[in-house]
Amino acid sequence: MTAYTDKIRQIASKLLTEGKVDMVIGFRKGSIPMMNQPLFIKTPGEAQELIWDSHCALNLANYVTNRKEKIGIVAKGCDSRNLVTHIIENKITREQLHIIGVPCTGMVDRHKVSAMIEAEITAIEESGDSIKISGNGFSKELKKTEVLQENCAGCTHRNPVIYDELVGELVPEQSGVDPYASVREVESMSPEEKWNYFEDLISNCIRCYACRNACPLCYCPTCFVDESRPQWVGKSQDPTDVRTFHLLRAYHCAGRCSDCGACERACPMGIKVREFTKKLNKDCLELYGWEAGLTVDARPALDTFKADDPQDFIK
Amino acid sequence: MSEREPKILSFLCTWCSYGAADLAGVSRMEYPPNIRVIRIPCTGRMSPKFILAGLRQGADAVWVSG
Amino acid sequence: MKNLLEHTGIEPGRLHFSWISSAESTKFVDVVKKITEEVKALAETKKYVKTSTQG
Repeated sequence: MTAYTDKIRQIASKLLTEGKVDMVIGFRKGSIPMMNQPLFIKTPGEAQELIWDSHCALNLANYVTNRKEKIGIVAKGCDSRNLVTHIIENKITREQLHIIGVPCTGMVDRHKVSAMIEAEITAIEESGDSIKISGNGFSKELKKTEVLQENCAGCTHRNPVIYDELVGELVPEQSGVDPYASVREVESMSPEEKWNYFEDLISNCIRCYACRNACPLCYCPTCFVDESRPQWVGKSQDPTDVRTFHLLRAYHCAGRCSDCGACERACPMGIKVREFTKKLNKDCLELYGWEAGLTVDARPALDTFKADDPQDFIK
Repeated sequence: MSEREPKILSFLCTWCSYGAADLAGVSRMEYPPNIRVIRIPCTGRMSPKFILAGLRQGADAVWVSG
Repeated sequence: MKNLLEHTGIEPGRLHFSWISSAESTKFVDVVKKITEEVKALAETKKYVKTSTQG
């Protein structure tokens, strides 16, 4: 991982020195463990602040929407797919981007780690596949594979799909993983059970919209939750309103979501908000053979019409 | 009323189904009175919001027809 | 649309889609009849109806 850090710093400072880009977007160490912050640098001197480790799970594609300058951006597999989506949706041009691709082996789930330890975690170090967490009077070693984010554990696109240069060798893609296992589980339930499952899932939601803000797809000038004339979604904690919010958020991501897990990571209540979007991802794949953000040359599933599109649902 | 009369919220496209409904009326055909029609300029105007808003406000079912 | 609603527990049969040309008044009548019957078979809607008046 430190090799990645060195390489990212080197590339970033070279890009800025040569004037190839106006800004580089990457990560710097957060003020608390497991929470790295996005960093925007404009001079080569600042490149020393950039880092890379297993806590860079924020999706940096979020920050390039409608930018006018040339940007160097650090991108994992999922981030690069969101960059592709941005390019397809004309939110930025390919020429504006210099993508520093990072082959990724998954990000650590901060909710999982905090759930394992009762005390406050003050430091976290990693070397290879093991992670050492320590705090006041304790330290514990964990295997990284045990605490991976769920979307990373089931990820089949770890390598960036587009990039201008790479910071390391491409990593082997995982095979034999089933990203949609939990969706299948819910699918086998009766309507009543499904209803209760989701009722339970979102019962903790405090409507903070952190999932929306963390999502690179959510860039509408006025979000539907803020619209008041007409008001489509009530602003209360009423279960109906909460569910409406989650359903509509998921529909907005249909055929665009790269399952980067930023929403779930951002959730302060630890709600598995990906349960909604994942179902739509699965449908897109099964019905239209579409996975978001794999190529800039194809139009997304909901943007095209083919004569053989499934239409059984129409009477 | 012996049988429950459900309310079916119907979004009909001006050019297609709304025309068909009009024709059905002109031809004096009989059909169940359970539908509540909202005419939309085109089915392309539909949004998931409308369906959810309908269900939320107590419609028993929603029908979208192009 | 239909798939996710059903996935989250709304019964199939609460949402219908159809395609009817403006000349097909007979098809229109048929579809209305069919949908009405299907919906009558379902229980009264309780889920997802907003009962509180706040917000």
